[in-house]
Amino acid sequence: MRHSAIFSFLLVLLLLPTWATAADLRGLIRKVEQQYMGLSSKAVMTMSVRAEHWERSLTMESWSLGRDHFLVRILAPAKEAGVATLKAERNVWNYLPKVDRVIKVPPSMMGGAWMGSHITNDDLVKANHIDEDYTFELIEEAPDLYRIACLPKPEAAVVWGKVVYEIVRPQEVPGRVTYFDEKMAPVREIVFDEVTRIDGRTLPLRMTVQPLDKPGEKTIIHYDSIDFDININTAFFSLRNLKS
Amino acid sequence: MLLSLAFRNLWRNGRRTLLTLSAMVVSLALLILALSIFSGMLRDILASATEQYHGHLVISRDDYQETHDLYTTMTEAHLPLAKIAASNPVQGLSPRLRGYGLVSHADSSYPAELLGIRPDAESGVTSLQRQLIAGTALAADDDHGAVLGASLARRLGVKPGDELVFVTQAADGSIGNDLLTVRGIFKTGDSGHDNGLLLVPLGWLQQTLALPGQVHEVALAITDPMTASASANQLRPLLPDGIHIVDWGTLLPEMREAIASFDVSRLIFSVILYFATGLGVLNTLFMSVMERTREFGILMAIGMRPRSIRLLVLLESALLGLLGASLGVMGGIALCAVMSDTGIDLSAWITPISYAGGTLPPRLRAVLELRNLLDPTLMLLFTTLLAGFFPARRAARLQPVAAIRMD
Repeated sequence: MRHSAIFSFLLVLLLLPTWATAADLRGLIRKVEQQYMGLSSKAVMTMSVRAEHWERSLTMESWSLGRDHFLVRILAPAKEAGVATLKAERNVWNYLPKVDRVIKVPPSMMGGAWMGSHITNDDLVKANHIDEDYTFELIEEAPDLYRIACLPKPEAAVVWGKVVYEIVRPQEVPGRVTYFDEKMAPVREIVFDEVTRIDGRTLPLRMTVQPLDKPGEKTIIHYDSIDFDININTAFFSLRNLKS
Repeated sequence: MLLSLAFRNLWRNGRRTLLTLSAMVVSLALLILALSIFSGMLRDILASATEQYHGHLVISRDDYQETHDLYTTMTEAHLPLAKIAASNPVQGLSPRLRGYGLVSHADSSYPAELLGIRPDAESGVTSLQRQLIAGTALAADDDHGAVLGASLARRLGVKPGDELVFVTQAADGSIGNDLLTVRGIFKTGDSGHDNGLLLVPLGWLQQTLALPGQVHEVALAITDPMTASASANQLRPLLPDGIHIVDWGTLLPEMREAIASFDVSRLIFSVILYFATGLGVLNTLFMSVMERTREFGILMAIGMRPRSIRLLVLLESALLGLLGASLGVMGGIALCAVMSDTGIDLSAWITPISYAGGTLPPRLRAVLELRNLLDPTLMLLFTTLLAGFFPARRAARLQPVAAIRMD
């Protein structure tokens, strides 16, 4: 499950709830958290976005370290090559090569689309802290899946009213995640598929983000290649590296 | 004959008539002044609401004004702009494109609204470019300048000459981004615009948003904003299908309600004032009729018909009303002339007040509109005639014999 980029954010946490069904929930989560610290990945992925008025495809290169460091840079199309996003801790910066400037995404724009997709800046920042911000409850346990409801802690500053994970057994990879707003209406669904065994790990290579209020739109992220445990440290995730 | 009789009757008790007359003149003059100050406030607040941003009339496609949807654009070249500009009430016309995104300088970034304009055209519609507190307005040939609101400039920490980065999602889904140079900083008193509005060159925004040749709306300025609705109807036949024209009343419903409530206040104000004036006139005429009971009895005895008696008394009140109205109108005009030249500057005591989407500047200024003269004058004449009606009826119903016997 340890792998790259956005996946690591979502996926890592997806698995946390499965562990959390055990008795000592908090202890387990901490253990899992420790387990991923310091582990790294590098990936090349293709993001295809279909919106009401346009359709586009971006090829991106990404690096991640643990759950709090993430750097992604657009390789193609040429017009946007070099546009990059850095996430370090809970901050997000974008680099714009055309004007050669770095912009820090302000809190008010965290709900905005990331690179024009159906993933928000908040997803990048908060998704992998779900074990800290939510409480978990096993709502279904079938031979081939677990269904787990995550409800935000009262004091947590989160955007969702509820998140429901379907975890595929026995591989323990995510199958489908449904996001609910504060009124408990489902607003977004992420489906994971193309489960493949890579580098000794089993993981889905494709992730489809479907906003439920816009059936004609979706974002698909496909991993073209992934390497794990690369030689990288936190110094790599710097504003200087964001630019080059 | 009756007329000259009525006129002479008025001056038989000159002091009483003069006192009543002065009450009428003063109330009418003051009412004209008060209504004109109302009008002045109304004009100021309407001007601030429309001339600071919207324009008096706005042309846009489908439901753009409700949604501000990036894709609800019009091809500027397909709009009959020359014909519209040549239409009678149209004074100015400004094609605009609107974009929302992130504006950034150094370490601070804020979401903002960018209004792409042609500086010279926009100046004919709104006053934003004339409300600068620093720097200069956008020049006609500026291709990457920006004029922004004072609060936004303060939060970003920019001054004229500084650089801004704008990032947004362009219409083709790509990441639209470019640099702007701050030219000027405006301050309108409207917190929404001061906090989050930038004026940028139309061509620059079209390119950044990947919407070449497209505009979201065309804002118009017309001669008299109060006739915006009629002007919209007049221009509507010129527009292609799917393109709509709305007036400021549609864009700013609160402002329309505010103006309607101003009209109600005018009415209430007038009625209260004239109720008092009317009682004064009634008193004068009743007294004079009572005093002349014997006289009316004799007139009737020598053959004057009750109808003529009634007419006589009504003529007296009408004369009084006309005299009072003409003097009062003169007084009102004089007062307004004084107040429209200088007005009263209240800025030392109060700050601008934001209300219903407009901003009320701290001053009292009279604007003399025809209805400010006409309405109170007609109401005064009506009140005097009404006040004359009861004494006239009483005089006409007198029995000659009984009346003559009265002391």
